[in-house]
Amino acid sequence: MAGIWVLAENFEHTLELLNIGQQLAAQLGTRLVALTNREKAKATELIAYGADEVLLLPVLPDDQPWEAWVSTLAEEARQADPDVILIGGTSRGQDLAARLAARLNTGLCSGCTSLKLDQENRLIMERLVYGGLAIQTVVCPTRPQMATIPPHTYTPVEPQPGREGVIRELTTFTPSPVKVLSRRPIDRKSADLSEARVIVCVGRGLEKPEDLSLARELAEVLGGELGCTRPLAEDLGWMPADSYIGISGQRVKPDLYIGLGVSGQIHHLSGIRDSRIVCAINNDENAPIFEAADYGIVGDLKTVVPEMINILRKVGQK
Amino acid sequence: MLKIITCFKWVLDESDIKVAANGRDLILDRVGYKISDYDRNAIEEAVRLQEQYGGKVTAVTVGPPNARLSLKDALSRGPEEGLFIHDSAFKDLEPAQTAAVLAAAIESQGSYDLIICGEGSSDLYAQQVGPRLAEKLGLPAVTYVNKLSLEGNQLIAERRLEDGIEVVAVPLPALVTVLPEINTPRLPGLKQVLAAAKKPVISLTKSELSLDFAPSLQTIGIQAAATDRRRLKFGPEAEEIQKVVEALIREGVVS
Ligand SMILES: Cc1cc2nc3c(=O)[nH]c(=O)nc-3n(C[C@H](O)[C@H](O)[C@H](O)COP(=O)(O)OP(=O)(O)OC[C@H]3O[C@@H](n4cnc5c(N)ncnc54)[C@H](O)[C@@H]3O)c2cc1C
Repeated sequence: MAGIWVLAENFEHTLELLNIGQQLAAQLGTRLVALTNREKAKATELIAYGADEVLLLPVLPDDQPWEAWVSTLAEEARQADPDVILIGGTSRGQDLAARLAARLNTGLCSGCTSLKLDQENRLIMERLVYGGLAIQTVVCPTRPQMATIPPHTYTPVEPQPGREGVIRELTTFTPSPVKVLSRRPIDRKSADLSEARVIVCVGRGLEKPEDLSLARELAEVLGGELGCTRPLAEDLGWMPADSYIGISGQRVKPDLYIGLGVSGQIHHLSGIRDSRIVCAINNDENAPIFEAADYGIVGDLKTVVPEMINILRKVGQK
Repeated sequence: MLKIITCFKWVLDESDIKVAANGRDLILDRVGYKISDYDRNAIEEAVRLQEQYGGKVTAVTVGPPNARLSLKDALSRGPEEGLFIHDSAFKDLEPAQTAAVLAAAIESQGSYDLIICGEGSSDLYAQQVGPRLAEKLGLPAVTYVNKLSLEGNQLIAERRLEDGIEVVAVPLPALVTVLPEINTPRLPGLKQVLAAAKKPVISLTKSELSLDFAPSLQTIGIQAAATDRRRLKFGPEAEEIQKVVEALIREGVVS
């Protein structure tokens, strides 16, 4: 047996993995298998979205962490012997994938940003390293070849009418010694920046928290969202913890990113790489952000930003 | 007595890496080395727990012989003892190999209660060594932890995940990977640095461990991530800003 497996924490992410999974399955002439904990109705939907087979994972008791499925997955993988396993690169997915890879004695490309097959049907996988400065290309000499794929790396697959597939239930799992005592949502004080068309990003060049209102005003005029660099969220606490952009924060891909008082360290830059246009306002003409920007304004943000708002308002009135 | 092992990686400092004029190659010959940022949080958390509950902290690293320099740095941050697993073959290991070496070395040293790793390393950030090591040692693992305490023979850990906080309990022995927000690593002073030089370091080589050592991931290339940007610079005057706004309108990103 063979096949391409995909598994992600939520439905949307699963559809993204089905997109790339479908391409690989077609090239390898093999079956596409989606794994999910969803109810049967969702499983049928996954078949419409391209899965040839859906494996329903056992329902976990409330006190079991998601990673408890590792035993179920390892068991099934040993029997089905898939060529490729793609797992959604969220924290849980990352954890589960590493453990599964360890049990199957195989390699795992974490945070895979691009993957394709070469002539020998090996997966050539890319990922970012050194804080986002470089791209590492890896292959996995062992089987199955595994990768975790971050959310929004691929677009969700479109449904195709009239598809048929098999749904199979997996029932056994070995309970984890880790017991979940409670779960609570994080109160999201900040917007989800991953879908924003325009992002105004503030950095340490802001002198005081009051200066945030200036940045907010610019974001408003542009119809955009406000994000920040890590120090503003983690060290200064001026912005919500989940609103920082970068390798360890959010990855964004707006049409327009405007950095205000952002120096442009690689850790931050790797989070804005996919922006269409990068604009930067910084009073240090040697700031590294200018090397990574399309339009740079060398100047004090406290005078440049109000002027920019002025001009934008005038333009908007015309 | 609580025995804590904290694992750390000696990595090149990514802020020293330059990109060659061809825009693709990395210039690595002038880079400095450091303890991986996230591992400083792991060391700090181990020392913090030891200070609170008593016990002993051992700092472990796997690397080529020149990674020996890292031990003094690590020990100046509070652990009592170092374990240095070195071999010239231990350069550029992939995560499964690192986990295999760590597992073999840790097992050779007798019992322990808790292993603390960083969530990932600041060079490769594969986030695999912690969970893989737990699998190798047959330990329960709790990853992405931003709060940790001990209640009897149980760890209570708070995990920060994309959709919320998960509080879990796990019996010891166990392995934990920590997030940077779990603590602020202390900066060692001169006194700590001097004391570190006198702390014991156990040295192990490849030949002293029984290892299955084939890589399950091969790197076939590393290249600078290309940034194709226009790099146009403007002044702070109103006319200059006007030009930028007009350009943004032309680009279709401002309407
Ligand atoms: C492992 C690791 C992971 C990290 N992950 C992230 C991450 O995900 N995201 C992230 O953002 N950072 C991350 N960092 C931190 C990162 O390295 C930088 O320290 C951080 O991005 C710098 O933030 P900044 O640009 O706001 O501040 P600074 O570097 O202090 O820059 C402030 C800038 O503002 C300019 N300025 C000052 N006053 C003015 C003014 N009046 N007008 C205009 N400009 C002004 C200055 O010239 C300067 O360039 C990480 C670091 C490490 C080690």
